[in-house]
Amino acid sequence: MATTTATITINSTDLLSDELSLSTTATLTAAGNSTGLTDVSGLARKTVAGAHGQYTLFDGSDYTADKAHKLYLKNISTTASEFFLVTVNAEDVGRLYAGDWALIPWSAHDNDCDIKIDPSANDMTLEYMLFIDE
Amino acid sequence: MATTTAAVTLSSDLMQDTLSVSTETTLMKAGTTADGLDQVRMGYNKVPTGTSFDLLDATAAGADKASKVLISNDTTDETYYITIVIDAKEIGRLYAGDWMFIPWNQDDATHDLEVTAFGGTNTISWWCWHEGETLPTSAD
Repeated sequence: MATTTATITINSTDLLSDELSLSTTATLTAAGNSTGLTDVSGLARKTVAGAHGQYTLFDGSDYTADKAHKLYLKNISTTASEFFLVTVNAEDVGRLYAGDWALIPWSAHDNDCDIKIDPSANDMTLEYMLFIDE
Repeated sequence: MATTTAAVTLSSDLMQDTLSVSTETTLMKAGTTADGLDQVRMGYNKVPTGTSFDLLDATAAGADKASKVLISNDTTDETYYITIVIDAKEIGRLYAGDWMFIPWNQDDATHDLEVTAFGGTNTISWWCWHEGETLPTSAD
């Protein structure tokens, strides 16, 4: 069985009066069982060139519904004001500013449950990888 | 300025060669490298089945900002999960042992982040790093 782990570590010495340090690790498994995810899109890059507009990163109809897919995203821009607006099923999730990353659970709940990105400027590049629950 | 860093490491043996991705970001306020997110909400909750709950209420102060949300499902029964819903649209399922780290744009008052438990009572821990919030004036 494939074993894929995702570890997040968050640290801050000055957000609170005491040091903040937390870390957790998840083993990415299929929905409702302990079988490791066996498919991955591979790490990829997408540059939305020219006149920027919304781009469909993953189409909900291409993936099995109500599963435990996980999506990794990173905005590799170094211009602080540049962000990707990430939407799922036409609903804003959030703005991924320069240097930010995210790990988003995605259920591909129905055919409309597309993941789309909308860059705030031309020629912005996103790195992404989808761990797929077949 | 508050400095909070968030690092992730993804490792896997599902391909013939090792897959390993690591990165780190500093949680900044929207559109700047000069000032970090300086407020945090956090909680640890038991989420019973049968009801959708507002885990995080959207506020005008969070509109078009760079808020970040971390939710960890601390449940151990692998069949249990919570759905993550924003403004009545399901984003994904967070199964026992899973965590997520997402940007959250509170672009209108209905943009709450909601959770619903399935399988049984789920236990979650969560944090939201944000900016600009002022506490509501007491009504009594």
